[in-house]
Amino acid sequence: MIHRLDPRSKLVMSIMFATVSIMFLSIIPLLIILASLIPIIIAAKSFRRWLRSMRGLSVLIVFILIINTLISTTENPFSHSLALALRLICIMTSFSVFFLTVHPDELSQAMIQMGIRFEFAFAMSMAMRYVPTLGYEAYAIMDAQRARGVELDKGNLLKRIRNIVPIIVPLIIVSIRRALSIAESMESRGFGATDDRTYLEELVFRKQDWALTILSIGILLIMIYAHLFLAMPQWMLWDLPF
Amino acid sequence: MGLIRFDNFSFKYYGTEKLALNKVSLTIDRGEYVVITGPSGCGKTTLCRAINALIPQFHRGYIGGHVYVNGMDTREHGVSDFASLVGMVFQNPENQLVTLNVEKELAFGPENLGVEPVEIRRRIEEIIDLLDLKSLREKHPHEMSGGEQQRVAMAAALSLKPEILVADEPTSNLDPQSAEKILEIIAYLNKEKGMTVVLVEHRLDLVAKDATRVILMDKGQIVVDGPPREVLVKDICHEIGVGVPKAVEVYRELIERGIRLPGVPLTGQELATLVQEVAE
Repeated sequence: MIHRLDPRSKLVMSIMFATVSIMFLSIIPLLIILASLIPIIIAAKSFRRWLRSMRGLSVLIVFILIINTLISTTENPFSHSLALALRLICIMTSFSVFFLTVHPDELSQAMIQMGIRFEFAFAMSMAMRYVPTLGYEAYAIMDAQRARGVELDKGNLLKRIRNIVPIIVPLIIVSIRRALSIAESMESRGFGATDDRTYLEELVFRKQDWALTILSIGILLIMIYAHLFLAMPQWMLWDLPF
Repeated sequence: MGLIRFDNFSFKYYGTEKLALNKVSLTIDRGEYVVITGPSGCGKTTLCRAINALIPQFHRGYIGGHVYVNGMDTREHGVSDFASLVGMVFQNPENQLVTLNVEKELAFGPENLGVEPVEIRRRIEEIIDLLDLKSLREKHPHEMSGGEQQRVAMAAALSLKPEILVADEPTSNLDPQSAEKILEIIAYLNKEKGMTVVLVEHRLDLVAKDATRVILMDKGQIVVDGPPREVLVKDICHEIGVGVPKAVEVYRELIERGIRLPGVPLTGQELATLVQEVAE
């Protein structure tokens, strides 16, 4: 269901959630935002992938918690940094909804239909296409260098960083060659031949997309109004006493 | 006047010393199946690139002479003008697949030229049927084997409905079975669809039987040019180091021992038949 929505309407929703997250810096409202985001992620069957990305974020979150608690000048430093961390999680999750449910092809098509030039959108989708290819190539080069006696996994941090050089240099050279050959193939198939390029599958903005867009903008406006003109109830401002 | 005409064409890439092509004159007619072979660095790839104007439009260098394809001078028209006339298949399949699934790949060429989506859809279905790609339809390039990738790359070239198929060593990265399948498809396109084919290939035992013409190149020049049965028996094939089909080797060996078969066999099958005839 969520996967079938137009990427543009999902983008509006994600931006709405992220903006609302930025407006608040207390634990309770941020928890409410997160609690409304998680069902969407679950409905999109992306919960596990979301958890994995959150695990990747955990180092940064711990870092934020510790540093902010130590240097913050607010009354309750830990509570404050907890809210900051929560805000980061909310923003990340808002955009996860978008990136976990939009196929790269749809994304570039959406960009094109939002007025971005085809060449740029296509460059992005090609980057996605060639990430695994470059990955394999990097492994092949690492194996080749190991076979010649380069000890990639030994030594201290500085040595290891220096070890990247014999991998990155061939990788760049190989990639440039590959780029030329890709360009040849694209050129032969008329890349950039006409400005009236057609698209096999154009995105259509359906009723449910309009509904989601209007709903998102509505919520956003209400939140901005509430933020500017209404005082938050006391229970929402609750924080930890340290 | 031929479909493809090289008129005293020479080319030298920037930054190199030697001429990649040296005064090549060549005419290829509609419906021919031309196999080009020769040692590496002999100018085969350059010749292919010259057919769809990649040379001189994409690869710059010093040019002499002209190449005309369907009457258009490659010096005066861009590569995209030749896109729906010459389909190119290159050596490395991975570098020819630029999108994230097979349908998108087949649509890429026609989309670039502004073909109507309905017509693109029709072509995709037609080519998927023709090249038996049904099981691959939704696949990412990474989920395919080299042979499958090359089949898709060829399909992507065919979706532009070209009259000429130029394939530059399309089988060199493939296992023998996939290679054979690709070559079968090329032979089919030539025989059944009347497509003009220019194929660079080393495994002559696989293609000689289908080819109408073999061109042997060396040092940027055409050394021998003619029907496979005439070209492959020449001594020069051995001197340059061309992979002559086994059946032809046997034929030559038999001549040395004083037995002359009535014809030149290109496959084991033909050899067996000829030997049987002689024995009777």
